[in-house]
Amino acid sequence: MRSVTAILQKIFTAQFYIQNTGFFLVLFYLLFGVVDSGSLLNYHRSLMMGFLEGSSFLLLVLALWALYGLKCVGFMMKVLQSQGYEFLYPTMGSLDKKTRFRQWFLLHNAIYLPVWIYAGIAVLIGLKHHYYVSAGIILVFNIAMSVWPLALYDRKLFQPDIFFFTGYLQRWINRRFTKPPVLYFLYELFTQFPRRILTAKLVSAMVLWLTFFLMHEGNYFDLRGLQLGVMLSVLLHLQLLSHHRVFDDTWLNFMENLPVSTLRHYGRMAAIYLIIWIPEIVMITVNAYTKTSWLSLLTVFCMALSLLMFFRSLLYFPKMNNELHVRYVLITCFVVLFMILGHYEWLAILLLQALSAIVFFRQYRRYEPYIEP
Amino acid sequence: MPEEPVIALHAVKKNYQDAPVLDIPHLELRAGIYWLQGENGAGKTTCMKVMAGLIPFKGEIRLRGDVSSKDHPVQFRRLINYAEAEPFYPAFLTGRDLLELYLGTKGGDRRLITDIAERMGVHIFVNNPVSTYSSGMLKKLSLLLAFTGQPAVILLDEPLITIDTRTLAIMYDLVRTWSANGTTFLITSHQPLDPEEITLTGTLRITDKNITLN
Repeated sequence: MRSVTAILQKIFTAQFYIQNTGFFLVLFYLLFGVVDSGSLLNYHRSLMMGFLEGSSFLLLVLALWALYGLKCVGFMMKVLQSQGYEFLYPTMGSLDKKTRFRQWFLLHNAIYLPVWIYAGIAVLIGLKHHYYVSAGIILVFNIAMSVWPLALYDRKLFQPDIFFFTGYLQRWINRRFTKPPVLYFLYELFTQFPRRILTAKLVSAMVLWLTFFLMHEGNYFDLRGLQLGVMLSVLLHLQLLSHHRVFDDTWLNFMENLPVSTLRHYGRMAAIYLIIWIPEIVMITVNAYTKTSWLSLLTVFCMALSLLMFFRSLLYFPKMNNELHVRYVLITCFVVLFMILGHYEWLAILLLQALSAIVFFRQYRRYEPYIEP
Repeated sequence: MPEEPVIALHAVKKNYQDAPVLDIPHLELRAGIYWLQGENGAGKTTCMKVMAGLIPFKGEIRLRGDVSSKDHPVQFRRLINYAEAEPFYPAFLTGRDLLELYLGTKGGDRRLITDIAERMGVHIFVNNPVSTYSSGMLKKLSLLLAFTGQPAVILLDEPLITIDTRTLAIMYDLVRTWSANGTTFLITSHQPLDPEEITLTGTLRITDKNITLN
C-alpha cells in the first residue's frame, strides 16, 4: 500500500515537474549548456563567488530565488483550487497538525529543491572561503522561503474561499465593497489566471522598454516608432481578448437578463480595456512626457484603446475562431501601420472606433457562442 | 372585455446550429401560474432562456402587450426575471455582489428583498464568494435574485430541486403572494407542483418544438 506522502508527492511534486519540463530545460540549458564542459565547474564557482562577494549581485540572486519560490506557492495553491482536487480538503484536513505541516514541508521543499541544491553548494563554498555573512543570509533566506508558505497552504485548507488576503480582511472587503461588472474580468484574471495576466503585462512592458531603449540609443524620438511599439503591445494582449470572450460566454450569461442597454455594455467593454492598459499608459507617460506633447500622448493611448476595442468586437462574430481572428488582426495592423506612417493616426482611430461600434451594436444581442458541429 | 395577455410569443424559432429546437407560431398567456412540462431535451430550458432574453432567437415576444423583445430590449428585461435550474456565477463574486447588481439594474424594494433573504437564510452566507456555496445555497440565491425589481413574469426553472423543505414552503408562499399581486409565473418541474400550495392557471406542454396550453 502506498504511503500518504507518496500519493501527495505524485499529486503535487510529479505534476509540478511534468508541467514545468520546458521551464527546467531552458534553465538547464542556460546554466549548463552555454558553457563548455571543461570549464563548467569553474564557471559556477565564479558565479557563486560573485554573489558571495557582492551584495547587489546577492540581492539579485535572492530576488530570483524568491520568484521561483512564488512560482512554487502559485502551483500549490492552483492545485488546491482546481476542480477535481476537492478531495484534498477532507483528507488533508483530517491529519493532525504536526503530520499536516510535515506533509506541507515535504511537498513544498520537493518542488523548491532545485534552489536548495544550488544554494546549499553556494553556502558550502561561502563557508570554505570565510564569507560567513553571505552564507548565513543565503541559509536564513532559503529557510524562510521553505517555511512561510506552509502556513499559507494550511490556511487555504481550512478557508478555501480565500484568494488573496487573510480571511478577515477579505470578508471585511466583501462586506463593504461591491465589485462592479467592469472589474469582473480582472478579478477572473487575477484570481484564476494570475500567470496569464502577469506574463502578458511583463512582455508588453519589455516591448515598450525596448522601443524607448532603441530610440534613446539612436538619439531620436519618433511618435510613429512609439506607436509601432504600442501596436506590438496590443498584439501581446490577444490571448487576453480570447480569454475575455470565453469568460463572458461561460460565466456572464446571466447578465443578459439584466435591463442594461447595449450602449452601457459597450461602455463597460471600453472601460475594461482602458483599465487593462493602465500600466502601459503610466509607463509611456513616464518615459515620453518630456519628449512629446500631451496631445501626441493622447493619440497613442487612443490608438491602443481603439485597436483593443476593435479586436474584441470582432470576437462578437460567433464563427470568429482564433485562426480567423489573428488573420483579421494582422490585416488591420498592416493597414493601421501605413496610416500611422502617413500621419493619419486620428483617421485610423476614428475608423477603428466607428468599426468597433458598428460591429458591437450589430452583433451584441445576436451573439451566441458557436459550437463546432 | 377579455384580459390582455401578459406574455405573447409570435413566430418564435430557435435553432442550435442547423437543428431546430423551438418553433412556436403563436402563444398568448394571461396572468396566472403555469406549469411548463416536457421530457428531458424537449426544450423547456431553451424556451425559458429565450423568454428571458438570454439567448438570441427569431420572432418576437411581447410583454404586457406593448413591450417588445426586439424594440425595447432594456424594458423587456426589466419585466421578466429568470431563475436557472442549475445556477452558476463567477467564483470570486459574493452573493452580495450579485444582489447589488440585480437591485442596481432591475430596481425594486430593497427591504422586501432583504426580508426574503432573511427568511431563506441567504443573509448568513451573502458576504462569502459563491465558490463556497453548496448547490442548495446557489439555488436559494438564484431564486432570491428572481424576485428583484418589479417583474411582470418570473420564470422558475426546476425550482423544486436541491432546496430544503423550509425554503420550498417559502417559495410556494412567495409564488402565491406575488401571483395575487399580478406577477405571472412559468414553472418547469419534473415533480408535480403541490396543488395544496398553489393553484395552477394552466399547464403548458412542449412537444414537437411547440408549446400547447391545456
